[in-house]
Amino acid sequence: MSDTLSFLLMAWLNPGLLGLTALGVLAGIYIGAIPGLSVTMAVSILISFTFSWHIDHALALMVGIYVGGVYGGSRTAILLNIPGAPSAVTTAFDGYPLAQRGEAGRAIGLSTVMSVIGGLIGVLVLAGTAPYLSGLALQFAPRDYFLIAVLGLLLVSSLSGKSLSRGIFSVALGGIIGLVGMDMVTAQPRLTLGQMELLGGIHYVVVMIGLFGVAEALYQLHNLAKVPVKQKVDKIVPPLNMVLKFLPLSVRTSVIGVIVGALPGTGGDIASLFAYDHAKRSVKNPTRPFGEGAYEGLVAPETANNAAVGGAYVPMLTLGMPGDAVTAVIIGALVIHGLNPGPMLMIETPHIFWFTVGNLALANIFLLIFGLTGIKIFSKIVEVPKAVLIPLILVLCVVGTYSINSNMTEVYWMLGFGILGYWLKVFGFQMGPIILGVILGPLLDESYRQAMSSVGDRGGDFLLALVTNPLSLVLTSVITLVLLSNTPLKGWLSRRFSRS
Amino acid sequence: MSKKIERVQAGEKVFDWLLLLLSIGVLIEAYRIDGGLRLNSAGSFPVGLALVMLASSLAILVSHRYKRRDESIKSALQEFQVFLRDHFRPHIVVFSIAAIIYLAAIVWASFYISTFIFLAAMFIYFRQGRVVSSLVITAAAIAIIYVLFTVVFRVYLP
Repeated sequence: MSDTLSFLLMAWLNPGLLGLTALGVLAGIYIGAIPGLSVTMAVSILISFTFSWHIDHALALMVGIYVGGVYGGSRTAILLNIPGAPSAVTTAFDGYPLAQRGEAGRAIGLSTVMSVIGGLIGVLVLAGTAPYLSGLALQFAPRDYFLIAVLGLLLVSSLSGKSLSRGIFSVALGGIIGLVGMDMVTAQPRLTLGQMELLGGIHYVVVMIGLFGVAEALYQLHNLAKVPVKQKVDKIVPPLNMVLKFLPLSVRTSVIGVIVGALPGTGGDIASLFAYDHAKRSVKNPTRPFGEGAYEGLVAPETANNAAVGGAYVPMLTLGMPGDAVTAVIIGALVIHGLNPGPMLMIETPHIFWFTVGNLALANIFLLIFGLTGIKIFSKIVEVPKAVLIPLILVLCVVGTYSINSNMTEVYWMLGFGILGYWLKVFGFQMGPIILGVILGPLLDESYRQAMSSVGDRGGDFLLALVTNPLSLVLTSVITLVLLSNTPLKGWLSRRFSRS
Repeated sequence: MSKKIERVQAGEKVFDWLLLLLSIGVLIEAYRIDGGLRLNSAGSFPVGLALVMLASSLAILVSHRYKRRDESIKSALQEFQVFLRDHFRPHIVVFSIAAIIYLAAIVWASFYISTFIFLAAMFIYFRQGRVVSSLVITAAAIAIIYVLFTVVFRVYLP
C-alpha cells in the first residue's frame, strides 16, 4: 500500500517530474490548439528525442502533452471555429456560437473546468479497473490475445474511417509494414525485397512521423490561406452555481467518454460525438437550442474527450492494446525503454502503472491552472500562420527521424511514408489504423503462431478452440457481430424485423 | 425513396486500382517467404495479411459501383484536369520539390545551412515576398532549433 502511494505521488513530489508534467500540459494546450499540429504528431516526434531519458521523465512529458493537447483543441474551436484537434470538432458546434454572442471567456472557462472533471473521472476509472482487468488478462491464452487484437483492429477499422473496407485495408497495410524485417523465430527475411537495409525492419517511429507529421503538413497545404476570425475574451472563471448545474451531465458524459475511450482505436473524437448526441437526446430544456450556443453542447463533448484519455490507458496498460493513436505511440515509448505493456506490466513494473495514474491526475490539475490563465497570450500564439508552421513541421520531422538511429535512409523512408500517407488521407483512409497495424502486426503474428503451436499446428483444432473455450467463444462471437454489422445483412435484418 | 449518392473524388478510382496492384505485389512477396502456404510459418501471417489487403481493396473497388463522379465532370480527361487542379496546386508542388531538394542537400551542405535556405525560401514563397520578416523568422527558428535540439535534448543532427 505504501509502495503504491509512493508511486502514485512520485510525479507530485519530484520537482523534475512536476516541471516536465507542467511543461507538457502547457505545450500540449498550444499544440492541440494550433490547427495543423496534432498531439499524435507531437508525441511521435518527441518519442525520438526522449530515447535516452529515464522512462519516468519521458512519460511525464508525454502524459502532459496528451492531456493538454486533447483540451487545447477546444480553444480554437470556441475562438476561431477551427477545431485544433479532431476531438474538438463537436465543441465548435456550440462553442463558436457562444463566442459570437460575446461569451467566449465563459465558454473557455466552463470547458476547462469540465475537461478537468472528465479527466479526473477517467483517471479514477483507470485506477479502479485496470488492476482487476490485468489480473483477468493473465489467464488469457495466446489464442485469446490473438482474438482481442483482431477485435481491436476491427473496431478501429469500422469506427475510424468512412468505410470498413478502407479501415481493414489500412490495418492490414500497417501490419505488413510492421512485419518487414527478419522473422524473430526463424531469422528468415520477410518482405524485405532483397534489401539488406530492411533486415532490421522499419522503425515504427519513422512510420509515425511520416504519417502524422509529413502527411498532415502536406494535407494542410490545401488550406494555406484560411484566415481565422478573432473573438473578444473576458470573464473566464465560471461561477460555482454554473459548474454545479452542469455537473450531472458532465458525470454522465464522462462515463461515456471513458467507455468509448477504452475501446481500442476510438479515442476522444468519437467519445465527444457520442456525448454530444447523448446531451441532445437527454437534455429536455437546454440553455439555448443545440447548435446555437447551448452550454450543454459544450459541456458534453469537453468532459467526454478528456475522460477518454483515462479510458484509452485501460486497454493499453492491461492488454498492451492502444486505446487510440496517442496511446499507440506511448506503447512504442514503453517498448523502447524495455518495458512490456500488457498484463505483465502490473507484475514486472507496477510503479509505471501507479506513476501514470498519479501523473494523469497531476496533469489535470495543471490543466485547470493553465486553462484558466494566459488566454490573451494564447490568442496571439495560435495565430501562427500555416505558411510558417508547415515548413517548420517538416524540419522537426527530419530532426525527429534522424535522431532515432542517425540514419539518413530512415529520413527518406519517413518522407516516403509521408507522401503515401498524404494520398491515403486524400482518398479517405485514416492514419490511426495504419499505425495500430504497424504496432499490433508483430504481436498478432506472435500470438497466432503460439496459438497454432499449442494445438500442434492443426488448423481444425485451432478453429475448434475458438468456439469451445468460453472466453474465445465470446470474443469470436463479438468479432462475427462486428463484421456482420458492417455488411448489407444488417440492413436486410433490420428491414425484416421492422416489417414483422 | 431517394438514396443519397456518394461522390467519388477525381482520381480516387485510379488510386484504388493502384492499391489493388500493391496488394497483389505484397501477396507475391509474402508467398515467396519460405512456408508461405503452411499454417504456422514465417510466411503464414504475411500471406494472411496480404489476402486481407487484397480482399479489402477489391471491396473498395466494388463500392465504386454505388458512387458517382461529380456531375460537372464529363470525361476522363476532365477528371484528370480536376485531379491536377486539386492536388498539384503550385504551392503544393513547390513545397514537395523543395522538401526533396532539402533532404538531398542536408547530406552535402550540412543541416543548419540547408535548413536555413529551405525555411527562408519557403517562408518567402508562402508569405508572398516579405523577405526581411521571413529572414528574421528563419533566423529565430534556427536559433530555437539549435537551443532545443543541440543544447537541451542533445540529439545528433544530420
